[in-house]
Amino acid sequence: MEGRPKDESDLFARAQRGDTAAYEEIVQRYQMVAFRTAYVITGSAADAEEAAQDGFVKAYRALGSFRSGAEPRPWLLKIVANEARNRVRSAGRRHHLELRLAERFRPGDAAPSPEAEVVAAEDSRRLLDRVNALSEEDRLVITSRYLLELSGEETAAALGIPEGTVKSRLSRALARLRGTFGEVSRA
Amino acid sequence: MPELEPQLTALAAQIDWPATPNLVPAVRSRIAAPVMLRATWYQSRWALAAAAAVIALTALVAYQPSREAVADWVNVHVFFQRVHVVPTPSPLPPGPLGQRLGLGGKTTLADAQHQVSWHVTVPSKLGDPDEVYLQLPPTGSAQGEVTLVYSKRPDIPVAGETGVSVLVTEARGAVDRNFFGKMLGPGTTVEDLTVAGHRGYWIAGSLHDFYFNDANGSFRGETMRLATNTLILDVGGTIVRIEGNLTKAQALEIAASLH
Repeated sequence: MEGRPKDESDLFARAQRGDTAAYEEIVQRYQMVAFRTAYVITGSAADAEEAAQDGFVKAYRALGSFRSGAEPRPWLLKIVANEARNRVRSAGRRHHLELRLAERFRPGDAAPSPEAEVVAAEDSRRLLDRVNALSEEDRLVITSRYLLELSGEETAAALGIPEGTVKSRLSRALARLRGTFGEVSRA
Repeated sequence: MPELEPQLTALAAQIDWPATPNLVPAVRSRIAAPVMLRATWYQSRWALAAAAAVIALTALVAYQPSREAVADWVNVHVFFQRVHVVPTPSPLPPGPLGQRLGLGGKTTLADAQHQVSWHVTVPSKLGDPDEVYLQLPPTGSAQGEVTLVYSKRPDIPVAGETGVSVLVTEARGAVDRNFFGKMLGPGTTVEDLTVAGHRGYWIAGSLHDFYFNDANGSFRGETMRLATNTLILDVGGTIVRIEGNLTKAQALEIAASLH
């Protein structure tokens, strides 16, 4: 997850004053989370790249509406996610997104990091398989909140729903995800 | 089964995400070309500007603009952008004034007032407007746009860009979402001022473009429409734009007579 350095508000203030170098730094800083968020929504890396790029350009044009002291990530992610949804709508279909484990975390490998030590490789694969198999709504909220590591506010912005709805939707999605594990365990 | 949420959190570091492309160069080149010709170009006003603005865009891409100032108004963000080259207006096409300038439909002051929710202010200094135009959504601003045309007035030369002495355009600015902008050339000066308690800007000098982002988020360009001296005021949330070959004193006098 990208950090929120103390100079963030200064960066936005400079960008608002027309400092394009500051805005380029903003793009550099947030392009990963923006791209991945768009990828989760569109299911296509190419569409995600275009949506993120369009989003950053729109955000630049709208810098005047960004309130000093506000959280920039939800603001940016909302714009980028809107672009991503527009692409899905205009295309009339969504690419099927199936997230995969990175090669180094595939089952059978030695655990290379503290994170991987927490969850055994096989458990990770099974868990991700079940996330992939969730309904679109459940998958989006769980992926946004946990795999993209967005805050509740950011998830709400990315999904275009109120933060309260994120909580309730997440709760239901987690329950359904637990249920699938229970079924596997009993099988 | 271990707790699910920690497992999901741990899973985040293991996902095989596609490589994040470097968006900086593409974004940089796009924001360096501020004349955006998107949105609804079927409208007459925008169609009028299209050909010249496309040429202008080509010229602007070669330059790196820098923002001169961003000023927060009570209701509207005014956004000035300093550029090295300002597009040259194309000659006005023949035809009725409203059509040439894309002002909307011709109407009366009373009808315009009836059709919009806000109070249309009129500068008594200029007398009754010679023509009144109304543009409603989707071609106009979110809550409509009213233009008062003053064909010829003593001591105010007719502007070549419009063929009239003064245009007074009014549109309602929605809270936060709107910003009006001017793309300013090197010879253009901007001065913030207050007229009868209304904050505003006096923009004078060489040609400048005008654009704004309406309440629906649509980017609207009015490039080439009128590029003479301009006084912009926020009159209680209504943006009043007074444009023409005016001196500052004349513009202030007109603005002070708004009622």
